[in-house]
Amino acid sequence: MVSKKQRVRILLFLFLFIPALWATVPILWMVLSSFKTMEDIFRVPVRLLPDPFYWKAYPEAWGQRNFGLYFLNSCIIALSITIGNLLICSLAAFSLAKYKFLGRNLLFLLILSTLMLPLEVTMVPLFLVVKTLRWQNTFLGVIAPFLADPFGVFLMRQYMLDLPNELIEAARIDGMDEIGIFFKIVLPLVQPALTALAIFIFRESWNMYIWPLIIITTENLRPVTLGIALFMSNYGTDWNQLLAIATIAMVPMVVLFLSLQRYFVQGIVLSGIKG
Amino acid sequence: MRKLHVSSRINRWAYLFILPTVLILLVFRFIPMTAAGYLSLTNYDLFSRPKLIGIRNFIDLFHDASFLQAVRVSFTYVIGSVIPVWILSLLLALMTVKLRRGGGVFRTLIFIPVVLAPVVVAVLWRFLYFEYGLVNEILRFLGFSPVPWLTHPSTAILALIQIGIWRASPYFMVIFTAGLQAIPEEFYEAGRMDGTNAVTEFFYITLPILKPIFLLVIVISVITALKVFEIPQLMTDGGPAGATEVIPLHIYKTGFVYFKMGRAAAMSILLFLIMMVFSWIQVRLFSENR
Repeated sequence: MVSKKQRVRILLFLFLFIPALWATVPILWMVLSSFKTMEDIFRVPVRLLPDPFYWKAYPEAWGQRNFGLYFLNSCIIALSITIGNLLICSLAAFSLAKYKFLGRNLLFLLILSTLMLPLEVTMVPLFLVVKTLRWQNTFLGVIAPFLADPFGVFLMRQYMLDLPNELIEAARIDGMDEIGIFFKIVLPLVQPALTALAIFIFRESWNMYIWPLIIITTENLRPVTLGIALFMSNYGTDWNQLLAIATIAMVPMVVLFLSLQRYFVQGIVLSGIKG
Repeated sequence: MRKLHVSSRINRWAYLFILPTVLILLVFRFIPMTAAGYLSLTNYDLFSRPKLIGIRNFIDLFHDASFLQAVRVSFTYVIGSVIPVWILSLLLALMTVKLRRGGGVFRTLIFIPVVLAPVVVAVLWRFLYFEYGLVNEILRFLGFSPVPWLTHPSTAILALIQIGIWRASPYFMVIFTAGLQAIPEEFYEAGRMDGTNAVTEFFYITLPILKPIFLLVIVISVITALKVFEIPQLMTDGGPAGATEVIPLHIYKTGFVYFKMGRAAAMSILLFLIMMVFSWIQVRLFSENR
C-alpha cells in the first residue's frame, strides 16, 4: 500500500518531469544534432541519435571563421570586466559600508538609481559618448562602460555591513593603513560574496551581445557572440556547423553553472531582490 | 551603533575608494542619460551638427506607424509572456520545494536555459523551429502539417513569446524558491492545527507571505520583457513585416541603421518612462491591496 505522502511525491515527480524535459531537451537536441551529417538532420522521420556519428562539423565550423581569435577576445573582455568589477565595486562598497563621510547616503542613492537605466535605454547616447572618446573598435570601449556594476556595489556593501567594526579598528591601531585593511582584512572575509559577484558578472559579460554589436566593427576585436551571430546570418551556413559552434560557446557556461551552482543562484536571487 | 571614524585623514581614503565607481557611472550612465534628454530635442543624424527642434520628435512618434507598431508588438510580447511566467515560475517553485529530496535536482535542470548566451538560445531555437526542426517533426508525428514558425507574422511572435517564457520562468522560479524556503515551518504547523488543507494553506499562508516577492517578480518580469532585444534581433530581425520588431529593436534600427539619433533618443526616453509607469502602477496596486 502506498502512503498518501508517497503518492504526493510520485505525482510531483511526474508533474516536474515535463518542465525538466522542456528545459533540457532543446539543449540536448542541439548537442546531438551537432554530431549529425546534413542528410541526417533533414531526414524524415527524424531520429534521436546521430547515424553516422559525425564529429567533423566541429573542425569544419572552427575553420570557417576566426573562432580561435573570437574566443580569445571573449576571454579578454569577460575577464577584464569581471576583475575590474571585483576591485572597483568592493572598493566603493567598503567606502560606503565602513566610513562615515559627507554625502555618503546621496552617493549610494545615485549609484543605486543607475540600476534603472538599462543598456536598451541608454545605447544610443552611450554610443555617442564612447565615440566622442574615440574608443570605438577598442577593447577599452567595450570594457570601460561596464567596469562598475551598481548591483555589484550593492551586493558587496550588504556583505561588508555585517563585518564587525572592531576588527577594522584593531587593525588600524596595529598601524595597518587603509589599503592594507581593505586587501588583508576585508576582502578575505567577503570571499563568498566576491565569488557570487564574479560569476554573475562573468556570465553577463561572456554572453554580452548588444554592446559589442554597436561598438565593434572590426574582425580582430570580435567576441564569440558576434562571431556566431555573423556565422548564423550567413546564407547557406550548414546547420551542424552552426550547432557545433554554439555548443562550444555554451559548454564553459554550463560547466561553470553545474560546478558552482550555489554561487550562481545566490547572485541571481540577490540581483532580483536589488530592485 | 558605534561612532565611526571622523578623522579627515581617514575620510580622504573613503572618497578615494568610491571615486572609480562614481567616475565610471558618471561618464557611462549619467552623462548618456542627460545627453539623451538633449538629443531627443534635436534632429541629430551623426554626420551634421545637431539642431534643436523642440518636442518635434515626440510629436512625430505619435504619428509614426512603425513606432506605434513597435509599441503594439512590445505590449503583445509583454502580456503574452509575463502572465504564463508568473504562474509557471510560482508552480515550479512550489512543487520543487514541496518535493524536498530531489527538488534541487529538478531546479538545476530547469535552470540551465538561464545561463545560456542569447546568441546560443537564438541558434538553438532557430534550429528547433525550422521546417525540419524538432517542433515541426513532433507536429508531423501527431498528424499535423508543419508550421512556418518564424516566417509567418502571427506565429513568429508566438514563437518568440515561447522562448521568453522558456528563459524567464526558471529565473523567477529561483527567486520564488528563496522566498518559500524562508517561510518558517511553524507557520504551516499552526495552520494545520487550524485545519488547513493544501489549497487553503496556499491562499491563507503562502501567498500573503510571498506578496512582496510576488510584487518584485511582477515588476522585474515586465521590465525584462519590455527590454527584450537580442532574441528578436537574432531570430527574425523584427520581421516578418515588423511583426516582431519590439521597441528596443526599433530604437536600435532607428539609431544605428537609419542614423536618426535624435528620434532614437526620444524613443529611448519614452521606453524609460513606460518602464517607470509600469513599476509605479504595480507598486501602487499592491500597496493598496494590503
